[in-house]
Amino acid sequence: MKDEDAITIDKAPVPRGPYVHARKHGGLVYVTGQIGRDAKTGEFVKGGFEAEFNQAIDNLEAILRAAGSSLDRVVRAQIEFVDEKDLDAMNRIYGERFHEPLPARTSFGAAFLWKGAKVQIDCVASVD
Amino acid sequence: MTERRGIVSKRGPQPTASYPHANIQGDLVWVTAQAGRDPVNGELVTGGLEGQLDRAISNLAAILEDCGSSLDRVIKTMVMVVGEPDVEAIDALFERRFPQPPARTVFGVAFLAAEPGHETVRVQLDCLAVAG
Repeated sequence: MKDEDAITIDKAPVPRGPYVHARKHGGLVYVTGQIGRDAKTGEFVKGGFEAEFNQAIDNLEAILRAAGSSLDRVVRAQIEFVDEKDLDAMNRIYGERFHEPLPARTSFGAAFLWKGAKVQIDCVASVD
Repeated sequence: MTERRGIVSKRGPQPTASYPHANIQGDLVWVTAQAGRDPVNGELVTGGLEGQLDRAISNLAAILEDCGSSLDRVIKTMVMVVGEPDVEAIDALFERRFPQPPARTVFGVAFLAAEPGHETVRVQLDCLAVAG
């Protein structure tokens, strides 16, 4: 694997461990699960589920841009969230942020996410 | 569509249902999630989350090698943990086992599919890697 295929940027929360923000291979970029942490402070954003999910998507978008991709080139997204009550908000925000042609999507309830995160999203997207 | 082939490695715990250890398509290997089972007797190893994850990564490594790949060619991995993820323990193992850090998604699940046993499957991980 080529080093230049590993992507880690400073516009998304820095990886806390031995992983990268994304890896490119064969015309696709695979992005690490993103949560609602502010890129500068590393802290969770205030404002509950909606703020966290929007921030997580912002982080995903910043990583995709750095990889030469974008939200409208996402092929598949996976969303984990911990509280079933947030389902409607998840769908609404997702619908605001992702546009036609929409990606394939898998979403489900997780028992736990890192340090009490309410939601996490990762994706695979096309790159040039 | 290029030919796809399923791989069952002799060096990973033998599949217990309808799945191979991995599928190879093009230059990619998609590996079935591995738990911390001994490849010889299929028993869960001791040592809790860390022991199980270490063994599960060894199982991934063996399967990847039989597919012409290796841990340093993993693009993305998904780690599922029962109970609150001990991210520090997971990170320490990743640091030691993955020479090239992959993209990663970690989350806690209610339970993992496993045969009844006296020890609980605490963790499993799958991966996508480059072959050839």
